[in-house]
Amino acid sequence: MAIIITVVVLLLIVSGVQILKIAELRAISQGEKIYEVSEKEGKSQAILMLVFLVAFMGFFVWQIASWGGLLLPVSASEHGVGLDNLMNVTLFMIIPVFIITHILLFWFAFKYAYSSKRKAVYFAHSNKLELIWTVVPSLALTVLILYGLSNWNTIMKPINQEEEHVLIELVGQQFSWGARYAGEDGKLGRADVNYIEGVNFMGVDASDENSNDDVVVKGEFHIPVNVPVQFVMRSIDIIHSAYMPHFRAQMNCVPGLKTQFNFTPTITTKEMKEITQNDEFEYVLLCNKICGAAHYNMQMNIVVDSKEDYEKWLAEQKTFAE
Amino acid sequence: MTTITVDNINSRAELKRKTAKPLLWIGIMSIVMFFGGWTSAVIVSKGSISDWLSIHLPNAFYVSSVIIVLSSIFFHLGYLAIKKDQKKTLFIFVLLTLLSGFGFVISQYLGWKTLYENGIVATGSSSTNASSYLYLITFFHVLHLLAGLISLIVVSVKSKKERYSSSNFLGVELSLIYWHFLGALWIYLFIFLKYIA
Amino acid sequence: MSTHHHHHEDFLFKYIFSTDHKMISKQFLITGFLMGFIGMVMSTLFRLQLGWPGESFWLVDALMGSWAEDGVMAPDKYLSLVTMHGTIMVFFLLTAGLSGTFSNLLIPLQIGARDMASGFLNMLSYWFFFVSSVIMLISLGVEGGAASAGWTIYPPLSALPQAIPGSGLGMTLWLVSMAIFIVSSLLGSLNYIVTILNLRTKGMSMTRLPLTIWAFLLTAIIGVLSFPVLLSAALLLVFDRSFGTSFFLSDIYIGGQVLEHSGGSPILFEHLFWFLGHPEVYIVLLPALGITSEIISTMSRKPIFGYRAMIGSMLAIAFLSFIVWGHHMFVTGMNPFLGAVFTFTTLLIAIPSAVKVFNYLTTLWKGNIVYSPAALFSIGLVSTFISGGVTGLVLGDSALDINVHDTYFVVGHFHIVMGLSAIFGMFAGVYHWFPKLFGRMMNNKLGNVHFWITIVSAYGVFFPMHFLGLAGVPRRYYTNSNFPLFDNMVDINELVSTFAIIAAVGQLLFMFNFIYSALRGPKAPMNPWRANSLEWTAPVEHIHGNWYGDIPEVHRWAYDYSKVDESGEYIGGEDFIPQTVPLAENEHDGGGH
Ligand code: HEM
Ligand SMILES: [Cu+2]
Ligand SMILES: [Cu+2]
Repeated sequence: MAIIITVVVLLLIVSGVQILKIAELRAISQGEKIYEVSEKEGKSQAILMLVFLVAFMGFFVWQIASWGGLLLPVSASEHGVGLDNLMNVTLFMIIPVFIITHILLFWFAFKYAYSSKRKAVYFAHSNKLELIWTVVPSLALTVLILYGLSNWNTIMKPINQEEEHVLIELVGQQFSWGARYAGEDGKLGRADVNYIEGVNFMGVDASDENSNDDVVVKGEFHIPVNVPVQFVMRSIDIIHSAYMPHFRAQMNCVPGLKTQFNFTPTITTKEMKEITQNDEFEYVLLCNKICGAAHYNMQMNIVVDSKEDYEKWLAEQKTFAE
Repeated sequence: MTTITVDNINSRAELKRKTAKPLLWIGIMSIVMFFGGWTSAVIVSKGSISDWLSIHLPNAFYVSSVIIVLSSIFFHLGYLAIKKDQKKTLFIFVLLTLLSGFGFVISQYLGWKTLYENGIVATGSSSTNASSYLYLITFFHVLHLLAGLISLIVVSVKSKKERYSSSNFLGVELSLIYWHFLGALWIYLFIFLKYIA
Repeated sequence: MSTHHHHHEDFLFKYIFSTDHKMISKQFLITGFLMGFIGMVMSTLFRLQLGWPGESFWLVDALMGSWAEDGVMAPDKYLSLVTMHGTIMVFFLLTAGLSGTFSNLLIPLQIGARDMASGFLNMLSYWFFFVSSVIMLISLGVEGGAASAGWTIYPPLSALPQAIPGSGLGMTLWLVSMAIFIVSSLLGSLNYIVTILNLRTKGMSMTRLPLTIWAFLLTAIIGVLSFPVLLSAALLLVFDRSFGTSFFLSDIYIGGQVLEHSGGSPILFEHLFWFLGHPEVYIVLLPALGITSEIISTMSRKPIFGYRAMIGSMLAIAFLSFIVWGHHMFVTGMNPFLGAVFTFTTLLIAIPSAVKVFNYLTTLWKGNIVYSPAALFSIGLVSTFISGGVTGLVLGDSALDINVHDTYFVVGHFHIVMGLSAIFGMFAGVYHWFPKLFGRMMNNKLGNVHFWITIVSAYGVFFPMHFLGLAGVPRRYYTNSNFPLFDNMVDINELVSTFAIIAAVGQLLFMFNFIYSALRGPKAPMNPWRANSLEWTAPVEHIHGNWYGDIPEVHRWAYDYSKVDESGEYIGGEDFIPQTVPLAENEHDGGGH
């Protein structure tokens, strides 16, 4: 195999060299300066520019048409709706910019290809134009920045502790996730890597009385619909990132540090199965920060239940003390 | 073969005169960024650790500070001397600078020793971030100082041979700039370690 | 005997330990391209895995050996490849290869200097680069594999061999190589800055400098200010890895035991890394922008539009690049207020970038564009700079970033805006200044074909990635087949991989053209593109000192193309006026208003 390939490659190179040499000699004998781009050649490149423009825009539209439906379904969290709006507004600004500048670019490239009959216009600067394209983008950006930050502030706002909410700790480790519910007292017991032992893979401190009613689960965790969920993220080894794309939620899990994120799920798993017309549909928690060989397979299912179902499920789980 | 006429600006000495100092200054800038990286790291670490231990700097570090200021003064006097073409005086001052430079290194070493004897170590389980930074930063300062010492040795040998004069003292100047910089850097680090870390 | 000896020495100093900037430039170019080729082959290999996960490939088997049992690469080796690919492309090809080649070639020639400020430092700069390249390649062969923590080498993953085998010796060599690389880059940058500031020929004021030189100057300044910080971060990591300190490590349970480290913060590393990392993308990009500004003006036979605005926007970009690093850390749990600040500074960068784009467009408008391959690639750069730039507005927005951070959306974005733009700039530069580098011309027709294959397949590779990202596909995944969620991504992945293969094969055309032309190409005339800047007044053959006789004096800016007098005739009778031509009476210089 290797020998055949080597031989073929060598032959290709040799014949390439010969062809080039002959072409060049012929051009020289005809009195051309071979490095010079002839007007005809320039024109053909110019036409290709136009062809490319059409093809590129066509490709763009084709992608949207054929893959647009493969993207994430509607947001399953409250803040996600706002975020999707923000995304749409942003796309609404950048896609036209993308298209218009490309049309200009390739149109100019086509139109102004070299012709010996024309002179280029000596046009070196214009304060007016430059001012316009400093100010207009600035205004557009102001809108984006303000809108973006208002979203950001809503998303990052801590949960009002008085309000009804669920407190869950997500713990990442190579290469799996664990979730711990605060239990009836609403408090998570102390946890530290020093307590890790056997089944206590999260390192929960058994001597802390807050720990007793905590519920630790693996493989799948449930959350109630329309109730704010407060997540606290932790890692016991490498940086992981708790990514829940359907809820437009992501937060890194950093060893030695507690991070947090909160959102309110709005669509139950069952409802989402209908929306996506996919019986197999499950929400997932993925790891989205490179964390080792099996990073690509670090997952946990999320089930959004009605409140009753959720409470029933939670009651069935063993508490830490048990 | 056609010869290349070398116009004035490109004669070697001229080239060196024009470019050596800016080269040094920009080099110094990157050293500043290097230590800037670490000192900001200290601030970030301190901000993220609740039980940050402040370390009492050993007395030797105070002595070092005095020595390094003195050495800078010596060197500057030497520089002023060569500008007046006093070649012997230059040599004496450069020698004094060199000696105080070694004094600084010894004093730093004594400082580390005191730290070590007080149980403040750079690495391992009984070290803290504060102590690791302390050793690391002071150690890398000394590493940079070694380069300064080497240049001082060169300058002292050359001045002993009376290679410098009032019209030719670029080497002295370069070494001087670097040495002053090292002094200033130490004073900054010292103040930083004492008051901020 | 003695003559023979002499000859030997000559060879050594002419080709190997040369202090001549033109030779050093070629050394950088060739080393950079070799590294880039390796980086490209790596990307083809892992694209095979991503397109057809788990399938056995003869090529994978042949090239990866024990890393790929039966032609299927192991998951951690996939990460090795990705890490090395990223590192090689960003640092070796597009930092040293791009900036090293063209800063070295063009700075002395375009400002009118005999050589760099210090030829010796310049030579050291290359040799440090060479050594660091060799070490990086050696690390591919060591036990445990090459570094596998991503090119961003976040600890703890990069600090603990227990976490991934590549964090053993492979990571150590990575760090050693990068430390040497940083020294090389600093030595180079020092030289570039000082040369530009101090060795300009008579008449070459800062506002008459070609934009290439401005770009190289700012690139070098950014390098001098940011690389030392990476070095300081790398050293802390070295200490954590090998000497038991805990700058970045804390509370870790791995391999069945709790590590002794406590009190460190991985986030600290991210701050230090990105303080270099973000400016680094402009280190990669600015030279390409400078090169294409020059080429677009020359080849459209028009002055660059808004010369001062171009400089101003590069200055703004350079400055802003130091205060935006936090946009890589929006989801690390950073203080939301800080996140808001970084969003603000990041989106600000869009303004000078927009100015540049519109200035490019206006330069082409009513031009008389001569389509050399360099001109094609320059126009390609404008396209990629736009397509990649607009998605930056999504990623720079802290709120939007939550859901696309670390997904393929990011991979699409940075490949287009940084990877493609810089590569296109580099190709444009090579085609354009090949006559200055090798005294011969490249073949235009092959160059044209190369361009069209490259731009089509490059967009084919990277555009669809945005859709993957919007569908939630994370980057740095060995395969997408473990999540039912991604089952319908198979088609996209196959398409991307197919284009990646075409792109890679297309580059062979360039390699062939490059090698053939360097050895056999037609001899170049002195000023083949009829350009204004000083390098085209230097003799084609490489001589020490660049010009026979005196260095030419400069009387005008570099962009007097198609300048006409009142009667509408070209001043001087040609559509270009070299910088060495004195201003006519009543004629104004273009650079200053
Ligand atoms: C032949 C063309 C190229 C192809 C097909 C390609 C493909 C890819 C792909 C698919 C990834 C993501 C892998 C993953 O996340 O799992 C990647 C990563 C990367 N590529 Fe490329 N790439 C190419 C050229 C370049 C160039 C020119 C650059 C220069 C900027 C570059 C820089 C990077 C970087 C920095 C990463 C990130 C590595 C990491 O995650 O640590 N690539 N490449
Ligand atoms: Cu993970
Ligand atoms: Cu950035």
